[in-house]
Amino acid sequence: MPFLVRYLTPCLLVLAAIFTAGCTKAEWMVRQSTMDPKGPVAQVQFDVFMATVWLSLVLFVLVGGALVYAVIRYRQRPGQRDLPPPETGHGNPLIEVGLIMASIASLVVIAIPTLEAIWYLDDVPAERQPDSKLSAWYKGSYSADVAEEVLTIDVIGKQWWFRFEYPQLGLTQQSKRTVPNEMVIPRGKVVRINLRSEDVIHSFWIPKIAGKVDLIPGRRNHMWIQADETGHYYGQCAEFCGDSHAYMLFRCVVVEPEVFDKWVESQKAPAPEPAPDSLAAKGKVLFAQKTCIMCHRVAGHYESSAGFGPDLARVASRSTLAGAWMDHRDPVIQGAIDAKGNTEVSAPIDPALQRRNFHDWIGSSGILVNAEGKPLIPKDIKPGNRMHYYRMFNVAGLRETKTTLTQDELDALVEYMMTLK
Amino acid sequence: MAHAVHHTPVADKIELPPERSDLGLIRPDRTTGLLDWLTTVDHKKIGILYGAFAMFFFLLGGVEALAIRTQLAQPNNDFITARMYNQMFTMHGTTMIFLGVMPLSAAFFNFLVPLQIGARDVAFPRLNAFSLWTFVFGAFVLNASWLFEFGHLAGWFKDFSWYQRLTYTDFAPANGWFSYAPLSGTFGQADSAMQAQRFTGVGTDFWIIGIQILGIASLAASFNFIVTIFNMRAPGMTMMRLPAFTWMTLVTAFLIILAFPAITVALIQLMFDRQFGANFFNPTNGGQPILWQHLFWIFGHPEVYILVLPAMGIISEIIPTFSRKSLFGYPIIVFSGAVIGFLGFAVWSHHMFTTGLGPIPTAAFSLLTMAIAVPTGVKIFNWIGTIWGGTVRFTPPMVLALGFIWMFMCGGFSGIMHSAAPADAQQQDTYFVVAHFHYVLLGGVLLGLMAGLYFWFPKIFGRMPSAPIAYTASGLVIFGFNMAFGPMHYLGLAGQPRRTHTYQAGYGWEEWNYIATIGAFILGIGVFLAFANLVWTAFRGKVCAADPWDGRTLEWALPSPVPVYNFAQTPVIATRDAWFEHKHGKARIGAVADGGPEGVHMPSQSWMPLLASAGFLIAGISLPMMAMGIPYAGWGVIAGLAIVFLGIWLWALEGPGGYQLKTPAPAVTPVPTPVAATR
Repeated sequence: MPFLVRYLTPCLLVLAAIFTAGCTKAEWMVRQSTMDPKGPVAQVQFDVFMATVWLSLVLFVLVGGALVYAVIRYRQRPGQRDLPPPETGHGNPLIEVGLIMASIASLVVIAIPTLEAIWYLDDVPAERQPDSKLSAWYKGSYSADVAEEVLTIDVIGKQWWFRFEYPQLGLTQQSKRTVPNEMVIPRGKVVRINLRSEDVIHSFWIPKIAGKVDLIPGRRNHMWIQADETGHYYGQCAEFCGDSHAYMLFRCVVVEPEVFDKWVESQKAPAPEPAPDSLAAKGKVLFAQKTCIMCHRVAGHYESSAGFGPDLARVASRSTLAGAWMDHRDPVIQGAIDAKGNTEVSAPIDPALQRRNFHDWIGSSGILVNAEGKPLIPKDIKPGNRMHYYRMFNVAGLRETKTTLTQDELDALVEYMMTLK
Repeated sequence: MAHAVHHTPVADKIELPPERSDLGLIRPDRTTGLLDWLTTVDHKKIGILYGAFAMFFFLLGGVEALAIRTQLAQPNNDFITARMYNQMFTMHGTTMIFLGVMPLSAAFFNFLVPLQIGARDVAFPRLNAFSLWTFVFGAFVLNASWLFEFGHLAGWFKDFSWYQRLTYTDFAPANGWFSYAPLSGTFGQADSAMQAQRFTGVGTDFWIIGIQILGIASLAASFNFIVTIFNMRAPGMTMMRLPAFTWMTLVTAFLIILAFPAITVALIQLMFDRQFGANFFNPTNGGQPILWQHLFWIFGHPEVYILVLPAMGIISEIIPTFSRKSLFGYPIIVFSGAVIGFLGFAVWSHHMFTTGLGPIPTAAFSLLTMAIAVPTGVKIFNWIGTIWGGTVRFTPPMVLALGFIWMFMCGGFSGIMHSAAPADAQQQDTYFVVAHFHYVLLGGVLLGLMAGLYFWFPKIFGRMPSAPIAYTASGLVIFGFNMAFGPMHYLGLAGQPRRTHTYQAGYGWEEWNYIATIGAFILGIGVFLAFANLVWTAFRGKVCAADPWDGRTLEWALPSPVPVYNFAQTPVIATRDAWFEHKHGKARIGAVADGGPEGVHMPSQSWMPLLASAGFLIAGISLPMMAMGIPYAGWGVIAGLAIVFLGIWLWALEGPGGYQLKTPAPAVTPVPTPVAATR
């Protein structure tokens, strides 16, 4: 017993101190917190979780208490060593059956909300449909046969970014208009999400709005979400999907329904034309010369692309780059917002940072070279990604080529990207 | 007392005429040195070898874990590259499960089961040696991938044409221990060389063949233990008198022989996908990636119980010994172990709650997963019931055993939390799950196995580990463990996903990751200290009595170290906890002199298990080399398999062999109990 006091007590005290140290409110509301639900799906999942937490706490106190009591009460006291062994039985059927029954009863307590939630979360519940149908809120153009449907978004996972398509609203791969990495949804409306993968298994997860469902190639998964507050939400691929899995992030921007209408129209419009003879115009030409158009589409400029890579028509209007890994927003202002646990507002894009991010991203992995052909940014920002490592994939015609850019060419391309708003 | 007298050093050894088969093979007969360790069929030496290799690989897996934690200590860290990180967590999981915990459990099976049931060896001693060496060589195959990876990074292969042709240059596996297809498999149409597009290189081939070889080792060992436990029990050792550890060994062995075929099939399919252009998991050609997950987890979940049941068996021996009370509710403990075994096969899809199974399977697997908490809880209740009313001694094994109950209970509660599928949708693939299974597998299984090591080390080597070091190491392990994995509960709930080699600042994960890394290093120091203490003890420790703990089961009736023949006379058992009753109760252990005038018959050593296993090593390294395109490596596969068959064939031809030993005669005839006398 003495050693218990000597060794375990300080350990427990230090642990308790560590655990209570940082438990401020903002700690529970961090960017990807599952404990700060902002929609009915995450709320139900959190409620079920809390039911299991309370049950576990009760059982923990009871069983742990019994264990601590038994160990202290029945410790060997000095002189007991030489006494004959204590009375021993081989169990007590009444106690044991009683404990088994009590265990089963306590599990029923969590089984009921679990079952309710499983069916509730499976597909859009009937009671949430009426005011979420497109006809009830969407002012933009859509075909009549989808009027009674809720908004549907197809999420397509690729190594290592997400492509979002809005088939009812004409934003699809076929119509050559897609939305990469930053999904926009209307506040307070149910959204049905179809999950598809074009290579390996990914998982779609916006912790504050909904738990994850996997994107499995050859399988048609779906889920539904609803966000009750506008804001900037953080999501991430949650299934290990290869080298750069950690860099496969995305954002979900929740806006008022009226703003959503305008956003959809802006996504369909062609990209603004750069001023003639400007650096950006030079970049536009380079975009084709340097084979960027093989994978990237720019609506209004380069429509014929196969669309392997993200659509770039509005790339400068998005707050992130490279699968949402590189954030253009001012980190100091954003840090202050995060410290309050606030998702309502998002810091503005910092143009200088945005320019630097474009430069570093396009030029990395040895794409940017000096006059002697030596790589200036040999470092990988996203190891294995197709833009820098196309040799790994059977993309026709690109297998053995290696595009390089000089500093002037890169500056022109970056300038062109900066105009794509 | 009678028992003390009938074990004196071996008096006489009568060699049978040298065993010669038709081919003139002579079986080795060396009882010391390297030759002895390579050819031994003695279950005790095999157990020690299992333990030594397991501890080595455990430390290797620990180093990999520390590399992972160092990388995660800060946001946007570049201590190791993304690929190296992925290889680290893949090999960490694979190493800890297949090369650390399973062989360490096997070490206990080997050393203890024959002693606990009153047998002279396992049923098939050479098969036992084959299991050992196949495990060792399977482990070498897996880790050979590191040599290729380091060779690749160091640029050794630059001048070889096969290397220049490679499209994928990852040589150590980087798929995670679950290796989900199609990341581990193929995608798209295969070309004329049957090469479809893939996402990973030969690391995956190393992983596939390595796990396959380790599966052979586990299967062979399990059949051996099932036969041993059913057939080799001493007279009077009925099934319901078996020590709890032996019971859990039996359940574990059954789990292995039922679970490993599933992974074997899956691995062969994946191998065919990769090597021969099959399409089992290739979605482009109608294959089903989800099939891999089902096949993997119907193995993978019972595997969890394969890891934890032996530790539960160890705890069920230690708690009664140091409470000086027999196990409370022995039949229920045994029965709940078996129920866990059965239910373990009915909960695999709780690893797949996020794969879109649909509400009915999700609900079914949710409820079954909750149900498995009941037999697990029963074990905890019964351990507390055992302590209740006893006199508890806080020896190092007991401290670790209590740590086991405590940590395992925490892990069990977080398990209940994600048995609820809706809650799991948030927790799946986050650090919450990492915390959960480390509480079960590290706080649970590692503490259980460490408790077992400290408990039986005096029996294995006849030397007592230093108690102050043991307490210090246990304290460091328990403290460091909680500091490393406790914060991960929060990190998971705060949305940090698993298997990500880095994260951006600003997500609120920085401090807790840093604390977890410090905890991991404390844990690492604790484990290293404990292992160093044990290794030192094995060679230089203080010699101790044969029964230092006032033990309860038959192995404590034997001298330490245990003589090669184990029992001078086959014991006759009249009760559960036979040795404790013999010392303190009324029921005595009887004896039957079973050797005849020449003494008892002992098995001869053999080279053949080692030879057959070595074939697996050659085939196992050649197959990934073939996948790399190294010329003639395919012949290495054929040669390796030929050596396997040659080894088994010569094994069959060399004959049963054996020699006879005169065990010391008892000076005092043991007094058999009435029960024993009637048998």
